[in-house]
Amino acid sequence: MIVGFLLYPLVYEALLATPAAPFAEAFLPAITFMVVVLYMGLFAMSFDFVSGYTGYLSFGHAAFFGTGAYFVVLAANGQVPGVPGGTPFMITLLLGATLAGLLALVIGSVSFRLTGVYFAMITLGFAQVIYELIRSWGYVSTNPTEGATVSGDALAIGVPYVDALSLDVGRLTGESVENLLGLGIDLSATVVSYYALGVVVVGCYFAMQRIIHSPFGRVMIAIRENEERARAVGYPTYRFKLAAFAISGFFGAIAGGIFAAYSRSVAPDGTFYFLVTADALITTIVGGFGTLAGPIYGTLFNQGLEDVLSTESGGIATLLREGLPPSVLEADLFGVSLELFVNTAVDGRAPLYLGIIFVLFVLFVPNGILGTLRDRLGGTVGKRLPYHLRRYRR
Amino acid sequence: MSLAPLVAVVSQVAPLVDPGALLATGGAVEGIQTAARVLAEGIGKGAVYFTIAVGLTLVFGLMGVLNFAHGAVAMVGAYLGGLVLVLVVGANTGTIATILVFFVALALVFAVTTAAGSAMEVALIRPIYDRTPTYQILLTFGVSLIIEEVARIVLTLRGIQPDPQWQAPMATAPDVLLGRTELLGIGVRRLYLFEVAIGAVVAVAVWAFLTKTLYGLYIRAGSEDTEMVQALGIDVRQAFTVVFGVGTGLAAVGGVLLMWDPIWGPSVLLSIDVLLYAFVVVIIGGLGSFTGTLVAAGIVGIADSVTTWLFTTGIVTFPGLSEVTIFLLLVVMLIIRPQGLYGVEEVGGH
Repeated sequence: MIVGFLLYPLVYEALLATPAAPFAEAFLPAITFMVVVLYMGLFAMSFDFVSGYTGYLSFGHAAFFGTGAYFVVLAANGQVPGVPGGTPFMITLLLGATLAGLLALVIGSVSFRLTGVYFAMITLGFAQVIYELIRSWGYVSTNPTEGATVSGDALAIGVPYVDALSLDVGRLTGESVENLLGLGIDLSATVVSYYALGVVVVGCYFAMQRIIHSPFGRVMIAIRENEERARAVGYPTYRFKLAAFAISGFFGAIAGGIFAAYSRSVAPDGTFYFLVTADALITTIVGGFGTLAGPIYGTLFNQGLEDVLSTESGGIATLLREGLPPSVLEADLFGVSLELFVNTAVDGRAPLYLGIIFVLFVLFVPNGILGTLRDRLGGTVGKRLPYHLRRYRR
Repeated sequence: MSLAPLVAVVSQVAPLVDPGALLATGGAVEGIQTAARVLAEGIGKGAVYFTIAVGLTLVFGLMGVLNFAHGAVAMVGAYLGGLVLVLVVGANTGTIATILVFFVALALVFAVTTAAGSAMEVALIRPIYDRTPTYQILLTFGVSLIIEEVARIVLTLRGIQPDPQWQAPMATAPDVLLGRTELLGIGVRRLYLFEVAIGAVVAVAVWAFLTKTLYGLYIRAGSEDTEMVQALGIDVRQAFTVVFGVGTGLAAVGGVLLMWDPIWGPSVLLSIDVLLYAFVVVIIGGLGSFTGTLVAAGIVGIADSVTTWLFTTGIVTFPGLSEVTIFLLLVVMLIIRPQGLYGVEEVGGH
């Protein structure tokens, strides 16, 4: 999986040079979308970490994403007391994530007295309160409903204070690498950002996976399966839930932080709003609820769909518009020309199709892509695939 | 000396005077007047909150399903009602006729969405009752996404901007409703009176449905103990379908009511807004409790109007005050009394 992500930009670039370019452009996600897959995937993973493994739906998870994102931007602008303006991004990222972890402890300490629907609602309530506060907090910027922007230099991912080991990220401000290691490969700023963000995401993935597979993670699953029994066995479930929530908030904020570093601007609607949580929820369900890598696949699916349907990097609408003869495009469809229909019903309408797919998943594939795959194979893909392949070879 | 002449004079001046200046003069009469006006507006807003929330609590009370598509249906209701009014009401339609058309639209929209809601229950929700409540939340949320996007596509195809409010139906509101009326010496917006009237009709209708009809009996019994009701030979599944339909219809009725309100108005964003506020009201009142929803809507409405007043007078300069207060009410209520004002403790847990 990681190898796939590693090679993807090169394959994509190579394909664009071949005759299949229009189709590759239409059906394969562009690198800009792949960057979104990285940070939204990490956010969805952090959501799944607490919701999928302990069974408590964290409906206010956007609060942590937003905390990480806003902290990074404010720190870069020197607006956070105690953090001087030039502090390296990696340090502010960790500080922001720690802050989000503490916030999760505060929210969790009252929320985990509740269960089920009530837990979902109280976390949603907290997130909405923070969202409304941030929206009208004049300290953030002169126009807080529009959010804040990084005014200074590009933010770098890497080893702090060592220039050779850090890479500036951002679509316009990032570093581009020419003639990588003398291999004649040029990497654009977006691709460099993609790899830099990818390193952080992979690191976080392994950290979370380590926790899930530790005795602590076992208790989280026990809480999901039967909390009363877990308590009866002697585990202080309240503390376990709280710790899991804090860890999840920490990683959610890291996702927000790398998003802010890449996009260099944050807005309340794109960070703290309920729909950000909803995005994570949808991708988690499609990918596989309660499987750590599932959300990444779900996000990949979501962004792939979005790329195919949007015209930003030559999606299906462009393909249709250019590929179909004009007589077909002007054909009448209930009083609307087909071209207009394509423009409105296909272009940028990914949420519609995603919604339909989501409903179908909830009804028929409740375990998601990865969960169902694991059920079929009888274990994790990495462990079971060789066995199945060997069986077919005989 | 009687105060009556003074009250009359002040009430004449009151609508013209800036509330901040009113407070600055600091007279007791003005204070009481302002308080009464804020209270009246709060009750008006409460009526709106009640109408958008009551369907949600009805569905939850019987079925334990938190319907995330509730807001989307309200949004559709606002547009459908608006469509009827835009088609029928012309420039020279009289006030009475317009209001009659409004009620026809209300009835039509209720009928259509009730049927659609019942169909949705049979097709989508029935197969997953035996799963955990999470999946019902997820499913209805997905449905809400689909409804919202379809609405966007249809509106764009028809040349209407989905995002800012659709002005055409809002312009059909009769002028009578836009003014203020003298009530007990205070100027109250007639729109609020209208909303209170509709809210009261809805409340009485739902109350009668719950207490006077056979289905109401099933619902009240079913929310106590579904299995026992089934054991008594009642087809609970059919009751579920009817209740889900009615709940959906009530959401749309709430939407129609919002159509004329300048604070809301038909727009696709209504979907999320209605949903979040309906959640707040339903949770504060207690999930599944009719009385609770009524009381909570009043509390939220008054909190809303008081905080709006505090902001407009400049006493508090924080623009998000009213939204923050409403969501804080939700959080505080969940902390001190998770089951809500009138809720039953076991409902809604794992």
